[in-house]
Amino acid sequence: MVSPKIACVAASLLLSLGGIAAAHHSGAAYDMEHPRDMEGTVKTVNWTNPHITFVVEADAKDGQPAQSFAFEVSSPGVLTRSGWTKRSLQPGDHAVFHYAPLRDGNPGGFLLRVNLQSGQELSFSLQPSDE
Amino acid sequence: MKMALPKFAVFCIALAFSAGAGLHCAAAAPADFDGVWVPDVKDQHRQEAQNVPPWKPEIVPQIQRLIAEEEAGRPFLVLSHCLPHGMPTWMLISHNAFEWLTTPGRVTMLGEVDGNRMRRIYTDGRVLPKDPDLTLHGYSIGHWDGDALVVDTTAIAPQAYIAISEAVGIPNNGDMHIVERLHLAKPNELHDDLEITAPKVLTAPWKTTRIFKRYPDRHYEIIEGECEQEDLIPGKDAYGNDIFVSHPQRPDGSVSTTK
Repeated sequence: MVSPKIACVAASLLLSLGGIAAAHHSGAAYDMEHPRDMEGTVKTVNWTNPHITFVVEADAKDGQPAQSFAFEVSSPGVLTRSGWTKRSLQPGDHAVFHYAPLRDGNPGGFLLRVNLQSGQELSFSLQPSDE
Repeated sequence: MKMALPKFAVFCIALAFSAGAGLHCAAAAPADFDGVWVPDVKDQHRQEAQNVPPWKPEIVPQIQRLIAEEEAGRPFLVLSHCLPHGMPTWMLISHNAFEWLTTPGRVTMLGEVDGNRMRRIYTDGRVLPKDPDLTLHGYSIGHWDGDALVVDTTAIAPQAYIAISEAVGIPNNGDMHIVERLHLAKPNELHDDLEITAPKVLTAPWKTTRIFKRYPDRHYEIIEGECEQEDLIPGKDAYGNDIFVSHPQRPDGSVSTTK
């Protein structure tokens, strides 16, 4: 699991980039200017190239039924160098997912950050900042 | 990271005395390039805007369409497959790291993502095979010119893209030739000066530089290149053995919420 320190560093690096690009293919399908949050439980982890995907079941609330969201994120290499492991996010984990939504309106988007119930934050950066 | 000179000298003497090695000190790397190199993605984006390839007139409308599609939120996914990304796309736009390994007579670049992202650059004095099979990474021969590795790459498959971004790329369509000059601009900053000649799609050789950085203190490693686990997921066979089983996905290969 990622230490809070690593997550903090990764988050600050992410912010220092002033935005993030989808790894391996263009992020144009996502609205990076209007990120959203959702809460849900991880159903599926596809820890694979060219990009990782997580399927997350949104919590049913406020009269909204449960709904599956598909989140894309960078690659195993980039996330590993940002402190993640294959097990950082597992089926059954409940978390808040911060994401850039799909422009076509389908439920899902490009995952930017995850806040687990433990207080741990998971994020990533494509490259370290030049200190 | 610099190799200690005495150690280097011993290595050369050992090579000189090794019977049948067929190698000599001149073939050894003069500088320490070994390690994990992370692409400078911000510079890639700067290059995308500032250094446009000299596309042939008949290619320009294709480029304009790809740019328009991306701006409309429908990007063409140049790298959405699991094939080797090939040359020169790997060096131009990848976000993933590679490991440089220098061994006698050869430099090897080990990449990530697909299962076969690897470049072999022969520095043993060989010439290009007379009738090589075409591959996505092509056939690379290198030689040391001072502290720079100069690499000639030919025999590249016509399907290998010349990609200027992850949404804009054109297959080279054949007869591409790439010359690279790889050198350390700083101890932990690798520059790859590329000259790409692609007569089917470019009016003139295109020169561009890509930057890679090494972070010794972070102890980065490249990871296993695996690109199948949306099609295959862990499961069991009839005997209870741990295997990967088929995992259907949408016809377009995209993420499915109904798996």
